[in-house]
Amino acid sequence: MKARFLGSLCSIIIVLTLAFPVCASAEDTIKIGAVQALSGTFKDIGERYLDGCVYAAQVINEQGGLLGKKVEVIPVDTEFNPDVATRKATKLILRDGVKFFYGGTGSTVGMAMKELATKHNLIFFTCDADSASMTGKDCSRNFFRPGGCTDNRSFAVAQQTVKQGYKKIAIIAQDYSMGREAVDGFKRKMAELDPEAKIVVELYHPAGNKDYAPYVSRIIAANPEVIFTPNWGNDLTLLLKQGRPMGMNQKILAYYINDEVSIAALANDDLMIGNTGTEIYNLDIPTEKNKEFVAKFYKDRGYYPTWLRGKSYMATMFWAEAVKKAGTTDVDAVIKAWEGLTYDGPAGLWTMRACDHQAQMPYWHSEVVKENKFFKHAFIKHVDMIPPEDVEVPCKETGCNMPK
Amino acid sequence: MEILIFFLHGLGYAGLLFLVSAGLTLIFGMMNILNFAHAAMYMLGAYLSYSIMNHFTGQLWISLLICPVALFIIGALVQRFLLRPVHKLGHVHELLMTFGLAYIITELVQWYWGNYPLAVNVDGVLNSTVHVIGLTYPVYRIFIFLCAIVVGTLMALILYKTRLGIIIRAAVNDSEMVNALGVNVPLVFTGVFAFGTALSGFAGVIAAPLLSVFPGMAHEILIDAFVVIVVGGFGSLGGAVVASLIIGLLQSFGVLLIPQLSMALAYLLMVIVLIIKPSGLFGEESL
Repeated sequence: MKARFLGSLCSIIIVLTLAFPVCASAEDTIKIGAVQALSGTFKDIGERYLDGCVYAAQVINEQGGLLGKKVEVIPVDTEFNPDVATRKATKLILRDGVKFFYGGTGSTVGMAMKELATKHNLIFFTCDADSASMTGKDCSRNFFRPGGCTDNRSFAVAQQTVKQGYKKIAIIAQDYSMGREAVDGFKRKMAELDPEAKIVVELYHPAGNKDYAPYVSRIIAANPEVIFTPNWGNDLTLLLKQGRPMGMNQKILAYYINDEVSIAALANDDLMIGNTGTEIYNLDIPTEKNKEFVAKFYKDRGYYPTWLRGKSYMATMFWAEAVKKAGTTDVDAVIKAWEGLTYDGPAGLWTMRACDHQAQMPYWHSEVVKENKFFKHAFIKHVDMIPPEDVEVPCKETGCNMPK
Repeated sequence: MEILIFFLHGLGYAGLLFLVSAGLTLIFGMMNILNFAHAAMYMLGAYLSYSIMNHFTGQLWISLLICPVALFIIGALVQRFLLRPVHKLGHVHELLMTFGLAYIITELVQWYWGNYPLAVNVDGVLNSTVHVIGLTYPVYRIFIFLCAIVVGTLMALILYKTRLGIIIRAAVNDSEMVNALGVNVPLVFTGVFAFGTALSGFAGVIAAPLLSVFPGMAHEILIDAFVVIVVGGFGSLGGAVVASLIIGLLQSFGVLLIPQLSMALAYLLMVIVLIIKPSGLFGEESL
């Protein structure tokens, strides 16, 4: 009797476990798992990325959904830890039948998600992790990057450096894959564009460094005309906050200067004014589509779709275009549809390259100024657009051997 | 000249390291509690200072008075109502308690002050720079070092030159005997823990203008503080002074001389110390 009871209990459990994914996939939604750091040190970054993705889903749903279904964003807190991300995402794959994942702030989380997507034959896309190697030697058929790439971005910065005639350049970067790859790309392009320009000092510090004084002294001693840094967040603001009073007065050529949180966190506009950034999305990109997007976002949310929000919005919209073109949520069909697809969004025309799944896009060069229409504190002003062909890495030079 | 400026950088950072680790090593030395919540208290001090300086008064010295007092009260309450009840269960329980407390404080801080980094800016003399033989040097870094000297001297005087210090040290060595002599030992422990917590709050106020205030600041300083007390010797005040100086100078000159290794030097030192003298440079073998 007891054995029979246990037997039926087991069968009920088995039936329930099997039934759940069936139920889930029978629902009328297309799900995206948004894997982001939603707690801990990088919570503010993760939440802003998530916001843009959720907003994109909202816009798609307002326009009647995708393939007649609603898009549902499922937030997944990675805790900035690749193991946690893998565990939680696996649960979504097995239990809810989620086929699309977006996010991966932190290169290790991004890498882990890329491996997971490849293993389960799903799609993972990011605009959060910039390391060139992710669409280079470590590229994957299941990974797309509708976002920036250190090579393209550094090429754009190098072009601006040469255009402005700087000959003596200091470099300071975070000592991890993204920082190293950013510097590598910058040096390669500088050597090509202006062999006479000299890198007078090249420094790496741990990410999340506290005391910048020794680094600043080395920069000052090298007497550069300009400083290039791919630093972001606190590593950018502390460099300025501690460096400027010590006499590090050179202009900074940065990657991500358009972070209003960093500018506000300095609470001293003078430290920021004059520095430049090179991004794939800025609030003041002078296209009609961007003006409409910013206005609608502001109306809906009451704040601006700055930086990360704008980037993740466009990345999610681009993914939706691919699903629309495929006409199905079948992973292989969506991969095929996305390759070579273009997306004409707020930040110009993007093209998803088939050879490495890296979107080719314009980069937007901007400078921090005092007066702006968005914030009371200093913010960026559009300076120049660098077209995709100027910063392109030829397919055969990426190191990507895309599996068929 | 270049050597001088890197020496100054080392001293400045050493000052901050000492301020953070002094309270930690005091609590460990006296009560044998490795207080994981110490860095969270330091962060709380920094955030309190932000609120005081941005919404109440722009004066750093008011923060320097209020925050340690507030943290002293919090520390006393934590010791009395959270740590004392689990004390009889052993050190592991105390350790777990401080560990959980660290998470709770961090989450509360994020809930109240938000996730974004906040600025604490000082003005007046502290925001200025001095020019010495062609070098520009921020006054605030010198101020940090001076604060560390004052705090270190005061702690040494209290511990080794006053009756209170004698009681504290005696209570550590033989709490039962001191209790029998009519001293309220549990009260002494509450006081020591509260004082250690107040020190972490003081360090937080000092660090805020230099490092800015953000939710990850506790995590970032905790590892450095642990390295200091491991190298200096658990519970040794003199050890904390020497270890802070060594690590501060090591990091500064590391950037100048061997930048590829500068971030690993402190940990390398810790490994070497642990191999040669596991109790730390100034630690007592019995610990």
